[in-house]
Amino acid sequence: MTNEQILSEIREANMTYLMLAQNLIRQNKAEALFRLGMSEESAEIIAALSPAQVMRIASTNMLLCRFRVDDDIVWNLLTNHSVTKVDNDATTKLHASILMAGRFAEAV
Amino acid sequence: MAIQKSVLNDSKQVERAVSLIQLGARLQVLESETELSYERLLRLYKEVAGRSPSKGQLPFSTEWFLTWQPNIHASLFQNTYEYLTKVSAMEDIDAIMAAYRLYTEQIEACGVEPLLSITRAWRLVKFIDNNMLSMTKCSKCGGHFVSEAYENSRHFECGLCSPPARAGKGASSGGILLH
Repeated sequence: MTNEQILSEIREANMTYLMLAQNLIRQNKAEALFRLGMSEESAEIIAALSPAQVMRIASTNMLLCRFRVDDDIVWNLLTNHSVTKVDNDATTKLHASILMAGRFAEAV
Repeated sequence: MAIQKSVLNDSKQVERAVSLIQLGARLQVLESETELSYERLLRLYKEVAGRSPSKGQLPFSTEWFLTWQPNIHASLFQNTYEYLTKVSAMEDIDAIMAAYRLYTEQIEACGVEPLLSITRAWRLVKFIDNNMLSMTKCSKCGGHFVSEAYENSRHFECGLCSPPARAGKGASSGGILLH
C-alpha cells in the first residue's frame, strides 16, 4: 500500500463514517447517540455539517472514528478468550453488550 | 374551568399509544402512559392489533427479574434505557420504547429470543424508580445488573460471571446457553 493509497482509504472511511453518522442522527437522534457512542453536542455538530464540510473534514491523515472498546474485559468477551466460566459465543457477546451499554452510561 | 383540549397533544397521545400497541404493550401500560380514555384506547387497540387486549392482572412480582435468564435480559434493557435518559431529554415512556427497540435488536443479533416484553420492561423501570429493585455493579466484570434493592456491591457477582449451578442446562433453543 503506497502512502497515497493509505490517505485515500482513510478519507473514504471518514466519509462513510460521517455520512452514516449524519443519517443516523437525522433519523432518530436518541438512538443514534447510543449507536455512535457520542455526546449530544458532537451529534448536533455532525448533523449540521454540509456535504462540502464533510469532504473537507474527511480529507486528513487521521481516522475520525475511534475504537469503542478500550478495556480488557470487554475485549476478551468479544474475542471469546475465555476469562469467565461461560463458553458460548452468543452469551459472551450478550455479556459484552451489557458492559458496553453500561460503560457509556458511566462516561457521559 | 375545563382544560382546553389540544388537537396537537391529542394526536401525539394517539401516536404514542399506537407505537406501544405495536410493541405489544398491555392496556394497563397505555392507560398509565397516555391521557386517552379507556374507551378510546380499547377501540384503538382493536384497530391496531386486530384483536381484543388480553385481560387479567399485570405481572407484579420483582422476583422474575432476579431469576437467571430474565435478569440478563432485564439488565441489557435497563443499561440501554439509562444510557438514553442520560444523553437526551426524552420523556420516560419514549425512552422506554427506544430502549426496548434497541434491546430486541441486540438480543436478536446474539441469536437469543427476546424474553422481556415491553410491559415487563415498563414494570422494571417503575420498580427501579420506586426502589423495589436497583442496579448493582458486578465486582468481577464491572457491569451493572438488575438486583435486589439493597444489594451489597462489594460481594455482588453477576449471573454471567458466576452463573448458578443449573443455569443454561434446561434451556430450549433461543435461550441463553453457557456452552
